Amino acid sequence: MSHRTLGKEETRGNGAGKDAGTPRSGDGLSGGHPLPPPPPAHRYIGKSVLRTDGWEKVTGAAKFVDDIEFGPSLLHAYVVESPYAHAEIVRVDTAEAEKVPGVVKVVTGRDFTQKFGLYMKDRYIFARDRVRFVGEQVAAVIACDPKTAMRAAKLVKVEYKELPPVLDPVKALDKKSVLLHPELGEYPHVPWFFPKAGTNVAHWRKTRKGDVEKGFKEADLILEDTYTVPRYAHCAIEVHGAVGLYDAAGRLTVWTASQSPFTQRHGFAQALAPLGISHKDVRVVTPYIGGGFGGKAGVSMEIIGAALATTVQGHPVKVMWSRAQEFYNTYQRQGVVAKLKLGVRKDGTITALEHTLYWDAGAYVEYGANVVNAVGLSATGPYRVDNVKIDSVCVYTNLPPGGPYRGFGYSEFGFGLESHINRMAAELKIDPVDFRRRNAIKGGDTLCYGAHMNPCGLDEAIEKAAKEIGWGKKTKPKDPRKARGKGVVCFWKAPAMPPNASSSAFLKFNEDGSLNVLISGMDMGQGLLTICAQIAAEILSVPPAKIRVETPDTDRNPYEWQTVGSHVTWGCGNAVKKAAIDAREQIFDLVQRTLNLERDTLYLEDEKVKCRTQPDFGLAFKDFVIAGIEAEDHTFKGGPVMGRGMFMPEFTSAISDPETSQGGHPNVHYTTGAAGVEIEIDRETGKVKVLKAVLAVDLGKAINPDLCRSQVTGGLLQGLATVLYEDMRFSEKGKLLNANFSDYKIPTALDVPDEIVPILIEVAQPDGPFGARGVGEHTMIPAASMIANAVEDALGIRIKSMPITAEKIALALKKAG
Amino acid sequence: MPIAQEFELYRPKTLDEAGEVLKAHKSKARVLAGGTDLLNWLKEGLVAPEALVDIKGIPELRELRLEGKTLSIGAAVTFAEILESELVRRKFPLLWEASRTVASGGVRSRATLVGNICSAIPSLDSGPALLVHEARARVQSGRERRMVPLASWFLGPRQTALAEGEFVTGIELDVPDHKNAGAYLKLGRYAGEDLAQVGLGVLTDAAKAWRVAFCAVGPVPARAPKIEALLAGKALTDALLRKAQSLVAEEIRPITDIRSSKEYRLHMAEVMLERGLRTAASRLAGRGPEYGVSVL
Repeated sequence: MSHRTLGKEETRGNGAGKDAGTPRSGDGLSGGHPLPPPPPAHRYIGKSVLRTDGWEKVTGAAKFVDDIEFGPSLLHAYVVESPYAHAEIVRVDTAEAEKVPGVVKVVTGRDFTQKFGLYMKDRYIFARDRVRFVGEQVAAVIACDPKTAMRAAKLVKVEYKELPPVLDPVKALDKKSVLLHPELGEYPHVPWFFPKAGTNVAHWRKTRKGDVEKGFKEADLILEDTYTVPRYAHCAIEVHGAVGLYDAAGRLTVWTASQSPFTQRHGFAQALAPLGISHKDVRVVTPYIGGGFGGKAGVSMEIIGAALATTVQGHPVKVMWSRAQEFYNTYQRQGVVAKLKLGVRKDGTITALEHTLYWDAGAYVEYGANVVNAVGLSATGPYRVDNVKIDSVCVYTNLPPGGPYRGFGYSEFGFGLESHINRMAAELKIDPVDFRRRNAIKGGDTLCYGAHMNPCGLDEAIEKAAKEIGWGKKTKPKDPRKARGKGVVCFWKAPAMPPNASSSAFLKFNEDGSLNVLISGMDMGQGLLTICAQIAAEILSVPPAKIRVETPDTDRNPYEWQTVGSHVTWGCGNAVKKAAIDAREQIFDLVQRTLNLERDTLYLEDEKVKCRTQPDFGLAFKDFVIAGIEAEDHTFKGGPVMGRGMFMPEFTSAISDPETSQGGHPNVHYTTGAAGVEIEIDRETGKVKVLKAVLAVDLGKAINPDLCRSQVTGGLLQGLATVLYEDMRFSEKGKLLNANFSDYKIPTALDVPDEIVPILIEVAQPDGPFGARGVGEHTMIPAASMIANAVEDALGIRIKSMPITAEKIALALKKAG
Repeated sequence: MPIAQEFELYRPKTLDEAGEVLKAHKSKARVLAGGTDLLNWLKEGLVAPEALVDIKGIPELRELRLEGKTLSIGAAVTFAEILESELVRRKFPLLWEASRTVASGGVRSRATLVGNICSAIPSLDSGPALLVHEARARVQSGRERRMVPLASWFLGPRQTALAEGEFVTGIELDVPDHKNAGAYLKLGRYAGEDLAQVGLGVLTDAAKAWRVAFCAVGPVPARAPKIEALLAGKALTDALLRKAQSLVAEEIRPITDIRSSKEYRLHMAEVMLERGLRTAASRLAGRGPEYGVSVL
């Protein structure tokens, strides 16, 4: 195993349900110090502690960006948008708008010259020379109230010269295609991207392993086909918003609805550097957010709030997106056309895989290109394949910018791959679950880019998911017009991060022995604040109710790269654990030097320092964590106890051979699992009812099982909606036609499956806090493919394009006769 | 999203007062009842009235009552109030069933039945029920009043027989003479609230009269006279149902739009016709699913 572990963290796997009563638990990161006596079991880890933010949220008291009061000097901005998918900007005339009483300023692309972007700097704050999607911001009116800003925005005259829009990623590759970014060759980007200047290809990830030709020769069956997945929207309940204030002291504070306060601070500081603003001057405050799902990662519309603030120094200025803007000017999940060729032996062993994916990445790919990259490294799915050729191609189109969305490309390629596997298993007369068992990846296997797989419980997940869904047993519908079918699929996903993405935490004791923990990971519903409290609680023996973990403020809270990739329980959790251990070690040091107790004999229990050799000794935290310990001479030793923890995965590297991707270690670990579904379809209407959905995921350790189970419920529902209902539609001119919930259908409570069974498998992640690894995104990844497979099981119809709506099923059935 | 445009807001206390204001502003005025359509149009700038006339303060427009055999539903009566009315549930269960499918609970607590027919979108859920019940719209202009049968009310998508300066004060429906039963079937894309891709209202009675109306499969909601004629006086048989289904293509004019294709609408109209007729017949016989239970 190439896995590097941190400190002495125990690595054994536990069966589901068994708690880790292991002697060394809790000491993984202490490094070198003697061990305290083991508690009998975890006291707070693995327990479904009630979420700390629950009361505030259910009572409606929780504050979101739009709820914060800024007083009467608050200004409001309204954005002027491009009506064209592709056009040159000939002239912007703001004179009429500026004359409207109440208008403070009209800002255009002339005012901001820097490009910005997370992985590739390919866009301006306001379009300058060209617009590249319908809805792109061209100018903004700042006024004393939203209505005035809106009215004046209509008076901004923009003269355009229309260009032909490029809407199809495959056609965009044509040599004769119009170019979206003629200056592509000059854009700064991370070293693991490979843009092709003079084309619409923003990035091309190639992965090569073994000998594909040889692999196909060894195959008894080869199947080639194409699968398509459209674009999707995150549809977080809270829209994006930002309020910026550039004060008289030259401080720029931006309140944002964001998953990424520090990444935003960095982005704002870089983009606004020409104004003399540096990182120390920028402060990002993120209150609670109403859902993220990747859509609030990176920097999207928030840059407008930051930039506008600099033009009206002394006044806060607010930009709130409408629901329509939320759809077309944040990030969208990218569409993909995936060409798949798989070679399989008679016994079901995969011999070769060729996977070519053309991504409709949209007008700007500063974030979305990394989705393409992640898939290029992982489009084998969780299977052992010796001969692999993957081409994941990021193509510019004149549609809204693509970007991160829960699953980060894995749902998209999984739809084709898991469909393909069932089709091949059927032709070979192999049970599709057996097929997956045979090829399932195992800890230690060589991944397609040469690194090795982390410990994983995929086998166990397959067994449990198949058993729970009653695989192999047909049930009969009551209504003869209906048909039933089942599907079981596998999934995996790794966090996609730069190799040096890091997390950090501060932990402060208070006079009463309670704790404040400062982190910059975002709780966006998943429960991060709660599990960080549990982690600190476990190490320090302070109940979670006495620990307050708050949302970030980059001035006060320490660094976190972003809350994305299902990595914060792992990354931020490790940082909190290290901070708690740091505090514990300070306590031991203090007690040892002031009370002359053997350090090795000390341990923490019930908010006290205790000693194994002196059962009567018990020093309560509240008696010394601020005030110190009084020595015999009445002097005091010690002082406020503050822990500090930092975590960076020091074993990762993104640099590899561009032609093969061999040589790096781009992913920290994969979370794997299997899921199954039983559906009932009305043959006449095509309507699908999900009778039961099961999802077994190896999350290493469920720090809070209820929160993990709610990830399964929410993720499955979100995934089922992408396959059953949601569908973004664009006009021939690239305008989004359903930027609303009337025609973009996300599920309601009525659409929840009759039964959802989450199965939590715990094969410990050696470098995770208490063995935990991520679980947030994974729960939606299998949904689409398992529905496709269950539809085929029920009706004998294979649908190769998402979504699989009632209409598509009914018309396919009709066509089939 | 704010409403950026300016307008005068009137809140008349009497019908005649409302009539006068509307007559004075003619096409430049808009009636505000529930506002669930109008406010969105104002926000999006799709309409630019110089006056809004809020009619919710006129007492008689809030009334829902039976006079003799005529049910009168005032223009300010919401769908939620219709759903809470025992009278409607008992005497007009089809209208009750259709009202239940309008938008969501939140919207129904403000949206009005009269607003639904005035917005006159092709998919309006109340359309088929009102058509098969041969309802009438009570219309006022200034101080003058007239009745317009629903059959001649819908002129096209968002177009009605309402003339400039006129407004609707209520809807009237007569309690059917015979024991009757109905069904409203609505095709949506999921189980949550949706605009109908196909809507079907069926009403039958002990004398084996059949009334059938569709919405969302043509420019206006409309009765299906050929199907009604075929079924008249007959009991349902499989053969008759097949024959009725074969007439659907002649009765409707579905289009392809973002919500559904023409092909699926036609297919579903046929499927729904069979289920709707069977449901109404079994309800009449005292069996069949309760009102409000979807058979789709």
